[in-house]
Amino acid sequence: MGQYRAWLEAYGAAFFDAAAWTLGVAVAAFICALLWGALLFFLRLNGGAWGARAVDAYVQLFRNTPVLLPIYLIYFGFPLVGLLWPASICGGLALVLQNGAYICEIFRGGYKAIDRVQHDAAKSLGLMPWIAFRKVTLPQLLVHSIPALGNQAVLLLKDTSLLSAITVVELTMQAKVLTERTGAAYAPFLVAAVFYLFMVWAIEFLTRLALRGVRWR
Amino acid sequence: MTPSDLWVLAQAAAISLLMALASIALGTLLAVLLTPLAFAPWTLLRAGYRLYIFVVRGTPVLLLALLVFYALASFWGRISPYAAGVMVLTFYLAALFAEVFRGGVLAIPRPLWDCCKSLGLPRLSILRRVVSPLVARYALPPYLNVCVMAVKASSVLSIISVWELTLASREIIERTLDVYRVLAVAAVFYFIMCFAIDRLGRQLESRLAARGFAGERL
Amino acid sequence: MIEIRGIRKSFAGVEILRGIDLSIGAGEIVALIGRSGCGKTTLLRCINFLEDYDAGEIKLDGEVLWYRPPPQTGARRRYPEKDLARQRQRMGIVFQQYNLFPHMTALENVCLGPRFGQKLSAEVAEVRARELLTRVGLAERLNSYPAQLSGGQQQRVAIARALAMKPQVLLLDEITSALDPELVAEVEDVIRTLTQEGIAMVLVTHAMSFAREIAHRIAYLADGQIAEIGPPQEVLDRPRDKGLREFLRRIR
Repeated sequence: MGQYRAWLEAYGAAFFDAAAWTLGVAVAAFICALLWGALLFFLRLNGGAWGARAVDAYVQLFRNTPVLLPIYLIYFGFPLVGLLWPASICGGLALVLQNGAYICEIFRGGYKAIDRVQHDAAKSLGLMPWIAFRKVTLPQLLVHSIPALGNQAVLLLKDTSLLSAITVVELTMQAKVLTERTGAAYAPFLVAAVFYLFMVWAIEFLTRLALRGVRWR
Repeated sequence: MTPSDLWVLAQAAAISLLMALASIALGTLLAVLLTPLAFAPWTLLRAGYRLYIFVVRGTPVLLLALLVFYALASFWGRISPYAAGVMVLTFYLAALFAEVFRGGVLAIPRPLWDCCKSLGLPRLSILRRVVSPLVARYALPPYLNVCVMAVKASSVLSIISVWELTLASREIIERTLDVYRVLAVAAVFYFIMCFAIDRLGRQLESRLAARGFAGERL
Repeated sequence: MIEIRGIRKSFAGVEILRGIDLSIGAGEIVALIGRSGCGKTTLLRCINFLEDYDAGEIKLDGEVLWYRPPPQTGARRRYPEKDLARQRQRMGIVFQQYNLFPHMTALENVCLGPRFGQKLSAEVAEVRARELLTRVGLAERLNSYPAQLSGGQQQRVAIARALAMKPQVLLLDEITSALDPELVAEVEDVIRTLTQEGIAMVLVTHAMSFAREIAHRIAYLADGQIAEIGPPQEVLDRPRDKGLREFLRRIR
């Protein structure tokens, strides 16, 4: 036990550092993915037949391929065209592109969950389409999307571990480095797992809080 | 990228597929044993189930893979990355499948349970003739979703040196710098595999729907 | 006041409305009855253009609604969104399933149309909303969300919401069909008081006794056309159409 204590004191800081990186990339990527997903959804709704088809193709592409591929594509491919971005940005961008597709689908689901007749009611009040969208559709869409968005946040957080494949020193990479450096078999991985589990729990807690904050359900 | 590279990628894709299928099969078996725990009358078992789900779903697959790989290595010396990979995927998929099955059970309308009880049907019979077919029907779409996730998760195993499509792609890229073409080919392979599962699923779904609900002649 | 001429509508190749002609005077109350699927709701939805119709014309106070009067050789063209919205504001509709906005209180639901459709100020809209909600008997539930209201209360909010636009005609689509029996009376009471206000109404209903009580005329729809129309005493007590007689026999 005492051995673990000493070990933790020595490497605790490193873990917290790595956890900060994981959290930072995850939060930044999630926010960007929300915006990107919203844009894709908007395009799908208002882009006519071609817009919808383009977004669908994009979504299908990212749903049926593993996220490591876009990560490698950006990390290895950008330098070839002269873009020398740091690994975390490359990885983050890949995560945004991938999760944006899923978030677009989440918004679609939230939109479909709104009773069709709500649109009828808004129309018959003589509301212009964009006002009806702003005041009637959007609030309900967002609330219906909260649970799925929370879930997606968890998935994105876990995907940050893949950035260890492109040298980003986040939690998983840190655990791997420590395992090899200290020969501590597998303990660092357990510690990293605890960090992840805590973060996942926090996300789920925040999601539940957000839902409870909605007074009208 | 040469034609021989293309052949290499095709072989690697086959390995990805085989690993995914193996883990799906084993994971489903394990899940069938796990799901009943969620409904066990003993709190300890139910809590154990929830803990397992929470831990496996809350940890990145990569971390699980590294953990299992290094842990097994420390106990048994060198082990095959493939074995470790399939093992990790099995445990991971089992958690996902168990939740899918659990959702299927919960989706059975309450009145149906009451009907079974009042008909005085024996437990096993209920399980076989009522519960399983209905769960299969309800759970099919999310089940296939998880199968697609299995194929995608197999790519993560590349990081613990399991030679499959993603690792093969990376090797070729690091050798030839032909990033875009190689990844495009890899993407196509993955897409075909995932899309095929999706299509298969839709076909199965419409077949089940056509035969009424359970496909079982009662 | 309302002139409906030659309305035709098909759904997926099946012709639901085969040429509807109907005139409704100011303050007149017309009830639409008929079998399920005969097109009563469809007709109602065509009147305020929630459904597009294939042919025909709808006029309100002499103004042609929804489509510009076609030139000699061209196809008809819809009015732009803004004009459609303005035209819709002259009618109010109450749906079978209330369709209140779940994320807004009763007060906000009723204010929405006047504020954002008619561009009234927040204060004026709120005053009007309070008055209407008081009129339908919900003065104490202004700040309740739909989830906290009973079906009858929600439907009364829906009526207030429709009236908030000061419409010339009120369209009512089976507004008591989805309610528990004990809640139907409170909604019918509200409609009864409205009949004194001189607002025209078109109601689709199965409640024959209520229709007999408040309607000036009852129209029976069958095979996509108005098979019989007239005052309640004639249509309900001395029906001429064979289908109508069969229909009335079934529902008694």
